[in-house]
Amino acid sequence: MIALILKRILLAIPVLLVVASLTFVLVRIVPGGPFDADKNLPPEIIANLNAKYHLDKPVPEQYFLYLGRLAQGDLGVSYKYVNRTVNDILSDAFPVSLQLGTISLTLAVMIGVPLGAIAAVCRGRREDVIAMFLSTLGISVPGFVIGATLIFVFAIELRVLPVGLWESPWHVVLPAVTLAFSPAAYLARLTRASVLEIVEKDWVRTARSKGLSQWSTVTKHILRNSLIPVVTVLGPLTAIVITGSFVVEYIYAIPGMGRFFITAVMNRDYDLILGTTLVFAVLLIVANTFVDVAYQILDPRMRLED
Amino acid sequence: MTKSSDAKSDDRYLIWRLAKGLGQCLLALLLLVSILSLTACTKARSRFEPGVLRVNLGTEPPGLDWHTATDSTSFDVVSNLMVGLTQYTNDLTCAPSCAKSWEVLDDGKRYLFHLRDDLRWTDGKPVTAYDFEYAWKRLLNPATAAQYAFFLYDVVNARDYNTGKLKNADLLGIKAIDPHTFEVRLSKPAAYFIYLTAFCVSFPMRKDVVERFGDRWTEPENFVTNGPFKLTRWQHEYKMELSANPQYFDGPPKVKLVKMFMVPEASTAFALYENDELDFIDNRSFSTPDVERFRSSPEYKNFPLLRANYLAFNVSKKPFTDPLVRKAVAMAIDRSVFPRILRRGERPATSWIPPALPGYSPDSGLKFDPVQARALLAKAGYPGGKGFPKAELLYPNRDDVRLTVEATQDELKRNLGIEIELVNQEWKVYLATVRKDAPPMFRNSWGADYPDPETFMNLFTKDCGNNDTKWWSPKYDQLIQAAEGELDTKKRADLYRQADVMLCREAVPIVPTFLATQNIMVKPWVKGIAINPLDLQFFKAVEVGGQ
Repeated sequence: MIALILKRILLAIPVLLVVASLTFVLVRIVPGGPFDADKNLPPEIIANLNAKYHLDKPVPEQYFLYLGRLAQGDLGVSYKYVNRTVNDILSDAFPVSLQLGTISLTLAVMIGVPLGAIAAVCRGRREDVIAMFLSTLGISVPGFVIGATLIFVFAIELRVLPVGLWESPWHVVLPAVTLAFSPAAYLARLTRASVLEIVEKDWVRTARSKGLSQWSTVTKHILRNSLIPVVTVLGPLTAIVITGSFVVEYIYAIPGMGRFFITAVMNRDYDLILGTTLVFAVLLIVANTFVDVAYQILDPRMRLED
Repeated sequence: MTKSSDAKSDDRYLIWRLAKGLGQCLLALLLLVSILSLTACTKARSRFEPGVLRVNLGTEPPGLDWHTATDSTSFDVVSNLMVGLTQYTNDLTCAPSCAKSWEVLDDGKRYLFHLRDDLRWTDGKPVTAYDFEYAWKRLLNPATAAQYAFFLYDVVNARDYNTGKLKNADLLGIKAIDPHTFEVRLSKPAAYFIYLTAFCVSFPMRKDVVERFGDRWTEPENFVTNGPFKLTRWQHEYKMELSANPQYFDGPPKVKLVKMFMVPEASTAFALYENDELDFIDNRSFSTPDVERFRSSPEYKNFPLLRANYLAFNVSKKPFTDPLVRKAVAMAIDRSVFPRILRRGERPATSWIPPALPGYSPDSGLKFDPVQARALLAKAGYPGGKGFPKAELLYPNRDDVRLTVEATQDELKRNLGIEIELVNQEWKVYLATVRKDAPPMFRNSWGADYPDPETFMNLFTKDCGNNDTKWWSPKYDQLIQAAEGELDTKKRADLYRQADVMLCREAVPIVPTFLATQNIMVKPWVKGIAINPLDLQFFKAVEVGGQ
């Protein structure tokens, strides 16, 4: 297992290099620059700005300068938020997204997996229909509709929860629920499909025929084996959820990092775009490594293969 | 039979167990929420906190260093933390502030400011003329890379120093003669110069603080200011707290704390206001349906702004090379349509100088006259719009802008019979396109930097970097140059009026459409909120809860 983790870490280096290089090129291809504003600046001042941020140098030189800084863990500076480094911005915003994301993900797993299992076990029955109706709703209704509805009901009409902001634990409730909706629905569908597939296996029939109760069959044999695909998607899902959601952070005014995925691009804030992309890539790699480790725990055959 | 009923009951048991688990999770969550809400409720949430003003900034200010900041959000914060030599009043005049008086010498080419003796920074040190000298030199230093450095280009040698042609800052026309006297020499008389001394970029700065803390000098623990408030807390991307500055020379403000939240989504900010979590909101927190819903509320107010919207032509592109066509377009647009569709009390405009400024005349521009417009178009060779090439109108991708250009397209089709193709681009792409090679028509807007016609009229001079119309005229440039140096206010207004006529009636490279407004809602427990036509918000006179 340690060998696996080490292998993953070594593989991560070229992956990150490719991600950084591609993003670096892509952001510079997009028309418009960081200092375009509705009030056009005299060329002398644009020259001063470009010199300050090394944007006056040839692009290859900018690229190597960037990689040099990156190797030292310096993600660069923001052109939009003057005097703030990308490291500062992300270290302020990421913990907030991480907190919210962890709560949401826990909620999503707690609701999604049992809901999917119920639906599969009761395939074709009323329970299945209800569960799948709920999960289709969760997947197809966009976050801003769910958010707005929750705000309207719980904050404006019932006045039991705050509209938004990030002041106290009770400010976490509505955004966490909003953020959990779609992953929970997705997990429910996935669990259902996976359980349905496993139920047909010979060894399940064997378990049943040797007189094992339904509860034991489902929890010990079916659920454990059907969790493999769920764990597989949990990897990328974790990376997505803990880096924050633009929509949820926007409508609840939460200072997380999700918004930067959009605003940094809109502002052509080159280093910040690269910073958010790299953080996301790192988290994705870490999450996928965890998934591989989890496979080995869930499925002993994988250990042998390794 | 027995077997199948066994399996069924087994199934039910399983569902029951799973459902129970799910139910327990939800119940726990519900319990947690109720406990939390209960604790919140037991605090007996009052509708406001006396002496605390809660407002929405909309976004994180990109920076509080007033030399590198360029946006209204940063300036809204800085205007409450700092004061300059002079200060804008809400009726657009410049009142003494750090400078108790000033002399205009050498035919308007030399200014001598006399500073008050009782000025203090928040750390207790006196504010001196040296702080102004340092600040102005720093603004012009190319290493600062200040976007607003061009504001001081009228100062002797300022342009050369800022562009690196001149290395010695001592040759600038900026000098602290003694701690209480600040001298500025200009390369030419500039009648609007005094307004620049009230603008954020000309505020004083503390050399020791800036040099000691480097990039972090505007963080609350390091920041030293001289205005009515001081920055006590800054949670980036979320909230700023400004507390009253007891050392402010004009006496501390009436509120003890201003909480500035950064709620980007307008509907959330509006809901926060409705829920008594914000005390004051403006355009940033309004959607048009909300304006409609609350227009008759006593909490709603509407203020005119010095921000003009216009339709511009690229006069180097056919068919707009012909002034007759441009005039026909100007006369074919019924401007009263804009307030009807945007519904924020916008004021239709036909002249480029807004009503509040000297030089304004209601007759400077071309009024709506579809008959005359058709006649002009026919004279240009397109009777009834026949043979008129399909022209592009570029606009940035924003809902309110889309509404205005659609209305323009409709007006031109109805009144002139011509087809306009609407093209939208994302904001930065739009800016880059307009700057590089503007399409035949584009929609733009301009907000005043200071309350003087110069801020609007300078825009269409030959050398102005913001003139994307490709139009220029030596006569127009001469008029503007003469107005800049004219110290007699009446003569000066007349020069601007002549230039305005040229711009909006004779050459018509632009068609002014309407002036924007600021819409605000203020809770009944807040007194003293006033909106400046420059859209700067000063909170020092505001009271919350009648304390």
